[in-house]
Amino acid sequence: MSTQQLDVFQVVADPSRRTILQMLSEDSMSINTIAENFEMSRPAVSKHIKILNQAGFISIEDIGRERYCTLKQDGFRQLQDWMRYFDQFWHTKLNKLARLLDERPSKDE
Amino acid sequence: MQKIIRHEFKFQHSPALVWEYLTDPELLAEWLMPNDFKPLVGHHFQFKTKPKINFGFDGTVYCEVLEIIPFQKLVYSWKGGMSKEKPGLDSIVTWILEPIDGGTLLKLEHAGFDGFRNYFPYLVMNKGWIKIGKRFIKNIKPV
Repeated sequence: MSTQQLDVFQVVADPSRRTILQMLSEDSMSINTIAENFEMSRPAVSKHIKILNQAGFISIEDIGRERYCTLKQDGFRQLQDWMRYFDQFWHTKLNKLARLLDERPSKDE
Repeated sequence: MQKIIRHEFKFQHSPALVWEYLTDPELLAEWLMPNDFKPLVGHHFQFKTKPKINFGFDGTVYCEVLEIIPFQKLVYSWKGGMSKEKPGLDSIVTWILEPIDGGTLLKLEHAGFDGFRNYFPYLVMNKGWIKIGKRFIKNIKPV
């Protein structure tokens, strides 16, 4: 799976990635600690971590021999931006519809 | 806990006329986006707009008509992202028309921002993100 093509919604649609984010919402954790909580293989967990990192949901820092993951705002902001975008989008479009309807001659009613 | 965008507009026009603007592809294009809509349940159609690559959106919204009650209700799926095969945004748009005194009350619901469903608590719980959470609450209303 190419991680480049995933958009924010796809990134968070995966249950394992949601679980990882939930775990990290408690505290920063090493990739090893995260992997211990999953049935799946360590490489599979690493792949999810990589996707979360690329999408800006987490950052990874090397401390000693361990790689620590911490939640990061960027990915969440992007989700929020989408939501705002659509809210504004509909507001603008509906205003346009209202203008179009108001411009119609009254005989149409 | 699903998140929904809602809007309500009152028009001084009959539901029949408002319905026309929701279901006639040319009239729909005048205010929404170019499209190949047909008022038939199961019809697949697309809206075309400018791509928003930063958002991971290629500019095409893939839709399917899910429900039609003439002059009262119209429901279609609304999927978009970087490709048709893997739409990141898988949502549902519902239009409800209610006759009111001398006009129409048009209600829009845009639902299915699944990405948000399980996230909201983390945003709010997490230190420093409380402000973002508050802005969220203003923008979206729970079901």
